[in-house]
Amino acid sequence: MSIIHPVQSVVSSENEQVIYTVVKNMLLAYKKSEAKDSSYQLVGKWIDDTAIGGDNQEGTNNEGIKKAKSNEGTAVSKNGQGSNMSTPSTHAYIRNLTLSKNEDRLFACTDSDKAIIILDIDFENMENCLNLVKRQRFPKRPNAIAISNDEKTIMIADKFGDVYSMDVDAPVVEKINDEVEPILGHVSMLTDILFKESKNGKRFIITADRDEHIKISHFPQSFIVDKWLFGHKEFVSSINAPQWKCNLLLSAGGDDSVFFWDWESGKLLSEFNYAELVKPYLTEQHAAPSRFQNEANDVVEYAVSKVVSLENLPYVAFFIEATNVLFILSADLENNTLTLKAKIDLPGNVVSLSACKDAFILSLDNRDLGNSNFVKFIKFNNETNDFSIDEPLSSQLDSVLVDSLKTNDSATVESNEIYPLYNVTSLKKHGEHYS
Amino acid sequence: MKTGPLSQDPGSKRYAYRVNKEENRKELKHVKIDESTVTSTKGKKMDLPKKKFYRQRAHSNPFSDHQLEYPSCPGDMNWGKLYPYYYNDETKEMTKKVTIADIGCGFGGLLVDLSPEFPENLMLGMEIRVQVTNYVEDRIIALRNNHIGKYQNVNVIRGNAMKFLPNFFEKAQLEKMFFCFPDPHFKQRKHKARIITDTLLSEYAYVLKEGGVVYTITDVEDLHNWMVKHLTEHPLFERLNEEWETTDKCVSIMRNATEEGKKVARKQGAKYVACFKRLPDPTII
Ligand SMILES: C[S@@+](CC[C@H](N)C(=O)[O-])C[C@H]1O[C@@H](n2cnc3c(N)ncnc32)[C@H](O)[C@@H]1O
Repeated sequence: MSIIHPVQSVVSSENEQVIYTVVKNMLLAYKKSEAKDSSYQLVGKWIDDTAIGGDNQEGTNNEGIKKAKSNEGTAVSKNGQGSNMSTPSTHAYIRNLTLSKNEDRLFACTDSDKAIIILDIDFENMENCLNLVKRQRFPKRPNAIAISNDEKTIMIADKFGDVYSMDVDAPVVEKINDEVEPILGHVSMLTDILFKESKNGKRFIITADRDEHIKISHFPQSFIVDKWLFGHKEFVSSINAPQWKCNLLLSAGGDDSVFFWDWESGKLLSEFNYAELVKPYLTEQHAAPSRFQNEANDVVEYAVSKVVSLENLPYVAFFIEATNVLFILSADLENNTLTLKAKIDLPGNVVSLSACKDAFILSLDNRDLGNSNFVKFIKFNNETNDFSIDEPLSSQLDSVLVDSLKTNDSATVESNEIYPLYNVTSLKKHGEHYS
Repeated sequence: MKTGPLSQDPGSKRYAYRVNKEENRKELKHVKIDESTVTSTKGKKMDLPKKKFYRQRAHSNPFSDHQLEYPSCPGDMNWGKLYPYYYNDETKEMTKKVTIADIGCGFGGLLVDLSPEFPENLMLGMEIRVQVTNYVEDRIIALRNNHIGKYQNVNVIRGNAMKFLPNFFEKAQLEKMFFCFPDPHFKQRKHKARIITDTLLSEYAYVLKEGGVVYTITDVEDLHNWMVKHLTEHPLFERLNEEWETTDKCVSIMRNATEEGKKVARKQGAKYVACFKRLPDPTII
């Protein structure tokens, strides 16, 4: 049966007036007018039509690294959790969708050609508000990006552990392999990167990797390492810096806890352990690959895919890959602790999560839900003092999504042909190389 | 490739040797060898390990997912097990910290020669290959046993120095770091596999204290030029001149002590030395 492809990621403007989504290799913008009760309309679209692997110089230039890559890739790919890490990308993913602070630009990464893309957003253009202004290819697949506070510099963290810095407005560099050197690096796949300013106005880059490391380097003097944050025992997949206070940092990944840090002092403030909470939500999708199973066949593997925080309220949300629940924590800024605030059950597995001023926005694996339940808005209700799904808003966006995509050939697929949506848990290391 | 710890043919001599040494190692690795232990080994001199029993493939990929043991942070490291003479049982603290590291120490020749020269310093070799690390452990066990009170300030751990150095050492803990005859990784265009790269140098600078020294030596001229270029360009390092090299005792030890250095000498190959001082951090902008 043919369906509309699930939404792989979604970000929102501050007040949810404009929503940007990724569906397959497409970026779509939906906007409400200022009027009260107005509904979303499709206002922008950009399609990545670069052929997969197009202009890819890797094969000829980086054989040594290629070899290392196939080694690194041996721990990945398991049932239903397709991963494109060991093989050349076969899907034109668009990742790391990021909206600029004044909401006039979108940044993202394209897998097809390992590039950073920058799009201008112009609502005056009634035909299409999205306009690609820059596409910079990189030697290795960008895995995460961070934008400096002045939005002049973009930092790119790649699969091989290197971080590149790029001037947002500079012209495209053609021979990037020869001309650009990384500004810092890990000898491990990078999974996330943040740009931060400290209380006294010093700038830093925070990078997280597939080993257990979170490293803090100065910027622009990135050759000076400030410190490491030690505590994770498994890979780190996601870091987030809450806006409430500038010294705070959240991190999570393959460990059973969400970590809460004071990154300026390097102190681990507290941990929130979710091992018990998640148990009822684990399915056969979380069974460890057969070569890491025990005799009882009950080894499970799971990981936090993403952790985010609301801008205005002291709440944190995270989800575990391939589960249909969102956990919301409240942050006590006096005692620096995280406690469970809400558990939101969802009709499908969470695929992506983002946050704006006062809403969490997530997209779901809705392939079995009949072209509905693409995106959910989760909001804090002052009266009930609790979080709940904003159903009217969510279903309104759903129906506009369906209307705009049902006749779009590149958005409709057979239900067994969707892009792999679960790539995080397979980052787990198993120490497969003995000698 | 997945190879077990003792995957060779169980009938072989090498297998029997390794099993025997492994038991010995388990028993003696962390004991404080003094008069009492010597009586337990009946005062016998132990044979030094034989390298031929510890051969393994020349390269171990530093990017791979190895089975490694490392502390989750420097504070969690149990140094007392490696240097029992420097562990105070009452305070449960080390009386000294490691200040000299031999990165990719191979069969440990440098550590053995440095040990008597720096009796006040603790030195650690870090080596990624299992059998080679076992060899160094057995060598140190035998040396400690045969020379009571000596060689207590050196030891080795199996580890990937390109990934986990900051798990072992605090900021500015080290005074000297040695890179002796590192693997050249000729083929790689971007050389990310090399143990000296711009980005790794920033991590080495983190664990080195101001004024600390990075020592490099190699017989591969291209690699020498590469290391010199990258260290020279790095804002936290400055090359030490030839005059300094001639007066520093580590330079002459490093030229001749390591197994690789001896091999090169036998073949009458050239050895290229370059040493660099850790500069103070510039003002943070
Ligand atoms: C050519 S040998 C030189 C050994 C010794 N320094 C000498 O001069 O005889 C290089 C050594 O570095 C080790 N090595 C390579 N990469 C390493 C890493 N990332 N961490 C620790 N050791 C490493 C290799 O296993 C090898 O034993």
